[in-house]
Amino acid sequence: MSAASLSRRQGSGNFWRVFFIGGLISYRALFYWITPWQYIPTMLAAPLFQILFFVYLGRATGVGSSTFFVVGNSIQICSMSGIYGMTMALANERQFQTLSPILATPANRIALFLGRGLPVLAAGLQTSAFGFLVSALILNFRPAPSALPELALTVLITTASCTGFGMALGSIGLRARDIWLTANIAYFAMLLLCGVEVPLHQLPGALRVVSNLLPLTHGIAAGRLLASGHHLGAAWPYILEEFVVGAAWATLAFLLFSYFERQGRRTGSFDRL
Amino acid sequence: MSAARLNRHLYRAGPAALGWPRQVGMGWWYQLKMQAQSGFVVMVSLVQPLIFASIAMADQQAGNRTLPLLYYALGAGIMGIWSTVVFGCGGALSWQRHQGMLEPLVMAPAPLVLVLLGITLGTATVGLYSMGATLLWGWLIFGAHLHLVDPVAFVIAALVMVVALGLLGLVLGASFVLYRNANSLSNALEYPVWLICGLVVPLSLLPGWTHYLAYVLAPTWGIKAMRAAALGGDPWVPVLWCVVASLIYLGLGVVLVSNVERLARVHATLTFQ
Repeated sequence: MSAASLSRRQGSGNFWRVFFIGGLISYRALFYWITPWQYIPTMLAAPLFQILFFVYLGRATGVGSSTFFVVGNSIQICSMSGIYGMTMALANERQFQTLSPILATPANRIALFLGRGLPVLAAGLQTSAFGFLVSALILNFRPAPSALPELALTVLITTASCTGFGMALGSIGLRARDIWLTANIAYFAMLLLCGVEVPLHQLPGALRVVSNLLPLTHGIAAGRLLASGHHLGAAWPYILEEFVVGAAWATLAFLLFSYFERQGRRTGSFDRL
Repeated sequence: MSAARLNRHLYRAGPAALGWPRQVGMGWWYQLKMQAQSGFVVMVSLVQPLIFASIAMADQQAGNRTLPLLYYALGAGIMGIWSTVVFGCGGALSWQRHQGMLEPLVMAPAPLVLVLLGITLGTATVGLYSMGATLLWGWLIFGAHLHLVDPVAFVIAALVMVVALGLLGLVLGASFVLYRNANSLSNALEYPVWLICGLVVPLSLLPGWTHYLAYVLAPTWGIKAMRAAALGGDPWVPVLWCVVASLIYLGLGVVLVSNVERLARVHATLTFQ
């Protein structure tokens, strides 16, 4: 085996090691809510009560069926992990003063960056699945069995898209003073803007433009179509749009990450709080 | 004087009864000023209630039920006060402990419960921002009619409710300190109280067993009193129940804080471990 080939093989091995093992370790180190005492109240109980709250608000206002709110909220709660988890996975390196040592390593930046998204994606899927399951148990949510794989695909794409959005927030957190405020506002604003709780046609035109640029909007629209008995063909354009939106946010996130890394090297501001 | 006697003397000593209101008042004022500087508090007491008010009022306009917009604006305002209380007061004692301030506070001759009372009342008062913000927002953006049937009763009801929530915050603060992850508990307690207390969903829509929980929570009586004063009805009975609830919370808070203080002294856990 030539030296160049060996080096390429080692490089590839390193990439996946940083991607999988590095991603998992960073998740365990940086995700605040990882212990059961934090995970259960924050990632399971709070989303469950959120679903119940909005289902009852829907009944009080007569704006839509329970399914409208169950699907919207069960998909939206994946962003708990996508937004907060991803912000923690990136911005907490700076908070804990570990950003400089990490960026001093020769590790592949794409592996370092995207690997952190994988556990966050898994946690988001788990939260959404829990939301759907509990809704089936206590709110009589009954989608057609044939729609379940398609619904699962929609949730997967939407969770990935939210993770991309969270990556962008986390990257900004490498430089911004208080990214948590932005992350909190983004999380709650998405309830209003992404058609989770309010039908999109009810929003003013300018806000609808913003909605189309955010994750969740298209995924939730697809989820509602599938849950109401439509075929994948009808939902497919929305799923594709959700994927494109997520990919665009992830690309923007990586560009921001690279920019802030270069800026941090130049100004020595990696760990400045 | 032996160390034990001196300790007992200091522990029992306190400001004269006339000094107690001054101490609570100064604590309240400093807490008010400090909380107003916090980005998180501004988010919880201003931005978040405006988002929830927008959701509720947009759903009201899109739906087929006819509860007035003011109904939702008031509810969203109290939702903001509750969020401020559950996050600000729930972690008050834990935060002092985390910051290493609990030791000096317990050592000081002033009763700890009065120190905490200033903190929790100040935090609840900051929540009033959300009430003003949602009413103004409802009027400006959604065209809600801000005609109050009995403005004097409305102001009295708001003040009584803030005191009641401040005292409930004392109970929360003294209870949450026993739980290592108070913040996670706060995350889980936001939506259920919004729902159970009928802040934007009429209690009649909820299962009967939830009413028993609602009646021991001050926000239930607070929203009843404020809605009666604003939209018509008798506000004084709910105001009276709010006062009764306040007295119960005060008694419970004093017992719980004393217990926490005693246990922390016995087990030497005044500092964070």
